[in-house]
Amino acid sequence: MTLVTIVLLACVTFTTRYLFLEGRLPVRLSSNFKQFLSFSGPAVLSAIFVPILLVHDHQLDLSLQNPYLWGGAMAVAAGYRTGSVYWTVGLGTLVFVLVGYVF
Amino acid sequence: MTKGVQTALRKGVVDMLPLSFAVLPWGILFGSIAVQRGFSWFEAQMFSALIFGGAVQIVTVELIADNVSLLTILFTAFVISSRHFLYGLSLRERLSPQPLKWRLGLGFLLTDELFAVSGHRRAYQGRLRLFYALAAGGSFYLAWNLWTFIGIVAGASLPDLTDLGLDFAIAATFIALVIPSIKTLATLVACLAGATAAVVFQLWQFELGLVCAALIGMSAGYVVSKMRGAA
Repeated sequence: MTLVTIVLLACVTFTTRYLFLEGRLPVRLSSNFKQFLSFSGPAVLSAIFVPILLVHDHQLDLSLQNPYLWGGAMAVAAGYRTGSVYWTVGLGTLVFVLVGYVF
Repeated sequence: MTKGVQTALRKGVVDMLPLSFAVLPWGILFGSIAVQRGFSWFEAQMFSALIFGGAVQIVTVELIADNVSLLTILFTAFVISSRHFLYGLSLRERLSPQPLKWRLGLGFLLTDELFAVSGHRRAYQGRLRLFYALAAGGSFYLAWNLWTFIGIVAGASLPDLTDLGLDFAIAATFIALVIPSIKTLATLVACLAGATAAVVFQLWQFELGLVCAALIGMSAGYVVSKMRGAA
């Protein structure tokens, strides 16, 4: 019975992922809608990473003792200056670990 | 296998590596919760092998264990998973003309993480970029299943690793992908609006928060781009 539930859940997650990749689905994207969708990448990724930095245990943490804030600021600066994934993740993580160690 | 395909596969795995490791604590957490809540090791592994969605798995494994009705369980999974509609819509132009096996395979692998590395303007165009996405998504799938397996085997004997700060790697990787893509005021506004809304919704513990925040950010970006286009 549990396996049936798992398979049904798999159908739900797969449907949400696959549905709009199906060409036969009669959906036409207007040029305005495509322009709207062009912001999905930056908007979704920002909506995921900013709460990781600022919200801990359901509370806003803007204190200077928050290593996520320092590491995030460093990563943003490195991303802006270098445009390189390796420098951004490397320098951001370095600052995150150092500040976490200090406090 | 041609050299080009090999390079594409390797790059896909390497680009995904920080994200594959970043979800280790949650994979282990899921595996150990499942076993502690009375699921067999096979059932626990099938969650990760078939459903393949961190938040959906961690929430529904508790609901099933608490004997919540099937309809409620499925509806909850649908709500948590609904953000993927947005990814499918965004990638529709590129992926819907591809052969069925690619659509099914990449559709199954289309997680937040795969969408995150799909931002390149020529993503999914041409065979090599499809192989790249397959390697990125496929390696993430294997990692998630391996972490789950470790959690199942370790059960309660491992401490909770989710407060170790590995989630910072997700944030740093997403920053690395987002910041260089901000080239216009409209994109900047989309990011700021989406981020602000996401923080507020997270504080409210609103289940549909992520997808609503994304829509708010996208709307804000769209309005700014229209205003600047008209000016």
